[in-house]
Amino acid sequence: MSDVEDVAETQLEIDDTEGAGLEDDDDDDDMEQITAQKVLETLETAWINEMCAPEILPSQADMLELMVSQVAHMEEQMRDLDKNDFRAVVHSMELERVRYIMASYLRCRLQKIETFTQHILNQEASREPDDKRLSPEETKFAQEFASNVDEYFHKVATQYMPNQQRGEAEQRIVTPNLMSHVFLKANVAVPAVIVGVDDEEVDMAAGSQHIIPYQLVADLIQNNQAQLI
Amino acid sequence: MSRQTKLFGEKAFDLLKELERSSQTIPAFDDDGVRQVLEEIKAIFEENVAQASTYNTSGDRSLWPLLNFRHAALQRNKRCLLAYLYERCKRIKALRWEFGPIIPGDIKQALCEPEVTFFNNYSKSLAAYMCSAGYNQGLPIDLTNNLRPPKSLYIEVRCMEDYGKFELDDGEVIHLKKNSQHYLPRAQVESLVRQGILTHIA
Repeated sequence: MSDVEDVAETQLEIDDTEGAGLEDDDDDDDMEQITAQKVLETLETAWINEMCAPEILPSQADMLELMVSQVAHMEEQMRDLDKNDFRAVVHSMELERVRYIMASYLRCRLQKIETFTQHILNQEASREPDDKRLSPEETKFAQEFASNVDEYFHKVATQYMPNQQRGEAEQRIVTPNLMSHVFLKANVAVPAVIVGVDDEEVDMAAGSQHIIPYQLVADLIQNNQAQLI
Repeated sequence: MSRQTKLFGEKAFDLLKELERSSQTIPAFDDDGVRQVLEEIKAIFEENVAQASTYNTSGDRSLWPLLNFRHAALQRNKRCLLAYLYERCKRIKALRWEFGPIIPGDIKQALCEPEVTFFNNYSKSLAAYMCSAGYNQGLPIDLTNNLRPPKSLYIEVRCMEDYGKFELDDGEVIHLKKNSQHYLPRAQVESLVRQGILTHIA
């Protein structure tokens, strides 16, 4: 976790030196102006949530896109700086960290997609278009991957098996264990969260930390009322 | 052969055990083993079909447990076989992340042809995904870079083999000779480190 705090700190520093230069003003389809700081924070939370959650979470493609353009923008500005300037060193270190977060976030999602391919695809098929969790690119990747594995299985093994034994692909679906325990921190006070099978309720104070099966708090995480740690 | 009919599923389990125990990146595809398991599945299946029809006509209840037992053995064989293939899939995927889009020659020998196809297809979709991950900015994010959280901008590396010239982003050209040591930007040499051309020294 110390890495994350580290990143946030450096980002603050940069905000001081760059001032208004970091404000992201080319994003006008959002009503509110969103600062680079906010984008990074959202992305960090999304990254940590994604790493800790057993299932795949809604994609943060918009935030990622903003961040990519931000990184490009900063690189542009840094080109004018002297290579040995202290600020250049701090900035490029910061950029490295941001890149790592983005790459790690996408990798983590890909890994989940690869592991739970069929399960995720089935779920996506039953979701409303606004509710999709994968970005279009990820959906394409998932579909390609699924057919790829199937083709491989078919070529090597299943085509040689007796007929009745083939049509059991649904038995091979890997599903995430949603009841695995996660650590989480409440962002705001959440009253009466149901824990356990016997309808036991717990009030979460803002900032309090808990260990709890994921499924019981999945909606809190999606509403950003709580975050995984 | 006689032993095989006594112990259903033994061969399939062996496949898995061998894969699990091998210390290589990926052991050679056990063509023979896979074929034997498939044959066993087929043999069990045929026996079962034959007896199931006897069972249907004669209604001999004593055949019932035997049928169930064979079916279970068949399922187990199938499961072991697919688990074997799936585990290999996973290792092949790891190859893509480790070595990039081209399989090193010595490893390629260990793969069977459908596996090579699988690798190529996987590699293609991954590359397509990474290209599109940069979105409209036209900057693809190379996900196989930045594998570890960055600790410092530069790292000290030792060269393990004669690599020749290597150009850095700022146009500087360095000669990577065997046993020479360099202090280089981490981001640019990461892939060389992963390929084993450079080693990271503390």
